[in-house]
Amino acid sequence: MQRRLANVNVWTVTAAIIMILLFLPHLTIVTSIFSPSNENWAHMKEYVLGSFIKTSLILIGATAILTILIGLSLAWLIAQYQFPLRRFLKWALILPLSIPPFIGAYTYHGIVNFTGVIQTTLRDRGGMDLNPAYFDIMNLPGAIFIYSIFLYPYVYTITRIFLSQQSASLIESARMLGKGPWHIFFQVVIPISRVSIIGGASLVVLEVLNDYGVVKYFGIQTFTTAIFQTWFGLGDIESSIKLAASLMGFVILILMIEKLLRGRRQYSYSTTKVRPLPLIQLKGWKAFIATGYGLFIISLGFFIPIAQLIDWMILTFGTIPMGEFLTYVKNSVTVAGITATAIIVFALIVGNFSRLVYGKIAKLLPKLTILGYSIPGAVIAVAVVTAFIALDRFLEPLYRMIGVDTTLVLSVSLMMLISAYIIRFFAIGFNSIESGYDKIGTDFRDASRLLGVGLTKTFIKVDVPMLKGAIISGFILVFIDVLKEIPLTLILRPFNFDTLSTKAFQYASDEKIMEASQASLLIVCISALAIVVFYKFLEKEPD
Amino acid sequence: MKKVLFLILAFTLVVLSACGNETTSKNAATEDTKETKESNEVNLYTARHYDVDDELYAKFEEKTGIKVNVIKGEADELLERIKREGDATKADLFLTADAGRLFRAKDDGLLQAVSSDVLDEQVPANFQDKDQMWYGLTKRARVIVYNKEKVKPEELSTYEALTEDEWKGRVLIRGSENVYNQSLLASFIEINGEEKAKEWAAGLVANFARDPEGGDRDQAKAIAAGIGDVAIMNTYYFGQMLNSEDPEEVKVAEGLGIFFPNQNTSGTHVNVSGAGVVKTAKNKDNAIKLLEFLSAPEAQGTFAEANYEYPVNESVEATEILKSWGEFKEQDISLSVLGDNNAKSILIFNEVGWK
Repeated sequence: MQRRLANVNVWTVTAAIIMILLFLPHLTIVTSIFSPSNENWAHMKEYVLGSFIKTSLILIGATAILTILIGLSLAWLIAQYQFPLRRFLKWALILPLSIPPFIGAYTYHGIVNFTGVIQTTLRDRGGMDLNPAYFDIMNLPGAIFIYSIFLYPYVYTITRIFLSQQSASLIESARMLGKGPWHIFFQVVIPISRVSIIGGASLVVLEVLNDYGVVKYFGIQTFTTAIFQTWFGLGDIESSIKLAASLMGFVILILMIEKLLRGRRQYSYSTTKVRPLPLIQLKGWKAFIATGYGLFIISLGFFIPIAQLIDWMILTFGTIPMGEFLTYVKNSVTVAGITATAIIVFALIVGNFSRLVYGKIAKLLPKLTILGYSIPGAVIAVAVVTAFIALDRFLEPLYRMIGVDTTLVLSVSLMMLISAYIIRFFAIGFNSIESGYDKIGTDFRDASRLLGVGLTKTFIKVDVPMLKGAIISGFILVFIDVLKEIPLTLILRPFNFDTLSTKAFQYASDEKIMEASQASLLIVCISALAIVVFYKFLEKEPD
Repeated sequence: MKKVLFLILAFTLVVLSACGNETTSKNAATEDTKETKESNEVNLYTARHYDVDDELYAKFEEKTGIKVNVIKGEADELLERIKREGDATKADLFLTADAGRLFRAKDDGLLQAVSSDVLDEQVPANFQDKDQMWYGLTKRARVIVYNKEKVKPEELSTYEALTEDEWKGRVLIRGSENVYNQSLLASFIEINGEEKAKEWAAGLVANFARDPEGGDRDQAKAIAAGIGDVAIMNTYYFGQMLNSEDPEEVKVAEGLGIFFPNQNTSGTHVNVSGAGVVKTAKNKDNAIKLLEFLSAPEAQGTFAEANYEYPVNESVEATEILKSWGEFKEQDISLSVLGDNNAKSILIFNEVGWK
């Protein structure tokens, strides 16, 4: 007993340290709630906040529903059925995630606007003069479309892994009881994959809440707009951080709702074998529809925008300097790789802690680390800069001792940027790992411990292999997210440090979307490569 | 257990050293060179993202041996970073594409006055801060473009005239979050007073052809698409469209005329890109040298050539395309007011419902 307690404590301490480090920078933001309101705050409340909040709610509500519809239906198809191109679609359906939403927004607008391929073709070849208003994508429904089509892979990835690896016995039982596919879908699949669905959808909601690129370009005023308007426009960063803090409050509310929705029901393994679900062969028109649906979604989320980007790349090839692109690739991959590795390690430790410790607070604490993903990157950046400068000033005597004659060391290094990434994207890795832990429960671990195997060995030999799918998907999601991340990279980078995403943003923000195509395509290529490598060679899951 | 802890520790150390090392050694290197000769670096925080800027920095290094280290970001975020870094900041020079932000930097006490005969000669007084805390480098005018087929230039006169009834449902302009619009309204607050400026904003909103969306280029395209007949946009975007790689964009731009409003009254709204030396700059001399280089004829010509911006240096001739648009009268106001009135213009935008 004594030994066990001591062991738990070591895990607890490590996990606690990680959580505190992840949460510390947010103190700048949280404490701002208590600062007094000024006249700017009153103005925002009187004129704009109401309508901004309404727009935000519509945006996240509609996007959440759409991403769940798309993500879950695809996950279900892939996990349950065999049809032409299934093996390809299985991993390719993640690809839309590799396109940063703001690039997607610029690209789709480029396709449908007056000088875009659709309208010019209709005009020049068809001689048709259609009302250009039909082709306007820069509005609320347009933004919902953009977010949904580029973010649904969050729901798809997490749910598919769950369904194909861990639901076999329940679904097979239902099949044997003669239940039809619709019945199984609604009565079995949705309830048991609730955790994954909500986990994926909450990532989507948070991503939409913190994004500024798409809504800014489309001229849609959301809560994020209010944050930046008070900061950039009114020059009042205090009020703006205060707004961000209220956003955090709202997110905490969502998290609690999520916990409630999850309820107390647990669906962990009851047998010792993780069996994949046997696939049902679809034939005839059913197979045709399944393949067609998958191809339709991936065309919208990947092939169509990619074709447009390639077209632009050819158009602008040679007009922009390309000499440094190898360095950008190297920089992007380095920071993404380090960040993804660190987050997975941290998430495994924190996830293990939250699984083994009892009590509501202990369960909720790790969830708070998700806050980093809920507010706009620019605000996090301010919090991180503040924290790192404080750290640098604290360490200054040490720097002097080793002969470095300057105050700012860490805060002008990559360390700051990578820490900010970890704070920001921890939720992504953690959600994936957590749903993995949720599924395996504690029975196997307890058995292993009872048999006298050490804690660490149990963790490595029992837990980690069972979590493999979750680790891989978590790593890829974080890796891709860092590759395309924008506000943090811009603000927190060291001197002379460019990545593919800063390059893409640089052109897009100057309304040179065509020139942004090169960097965007490279982001997509690297992401695609990462997806292929991990799914094809490492996962090796039987289908 | 110990193994896990050890692994974590080892990992953290590896990350730390991987990230930390690079800069420490770089810093060390800087220190070394400092001892042997004067520092040969200048650290620039810039909100301008153009490729041509990078070319100019490279040229500067070639010419002077001074290396330009750059962090590119958004103006307000960079300012906040400088502010939080305090006197330890490594930034020597802050460069941005809006006079309002330069004012804000000065107002927050982040800049210092520098005097240089070269700068005084190259940058006219009205494009310098009155306390010499920042210097303008390029000019851009915010003009009216119009559908050549539907609108005769004689019908156009001033920004104010666009609020009249005949323009109902015909005016295009981007959203109020955009700093060029904020500066435009800020200039009207200075010239016409807050009351009149608000009337203008409300009147323009009433004449909008559609809710604001997209960037400046998109307003031009909306004219071509027949959604509206006139648009307010910056000159250099128009220049970029005329020279676009996409023939469709060129077609759009060729169907548009450019009009410099308020020629008989207060003048066309002009904003600048400019830069100021950071208060605690460690490489002040180099920063001034870079400013001098960027306002010298060669760099000024490059700005005009590559980016269709107007040079501030009067000894530099405008390029063909800029010349073809003609000479024009500029607003005669101190550019600092653009920053001073920025917050007021946001409040007005919100009150009149300019999205």
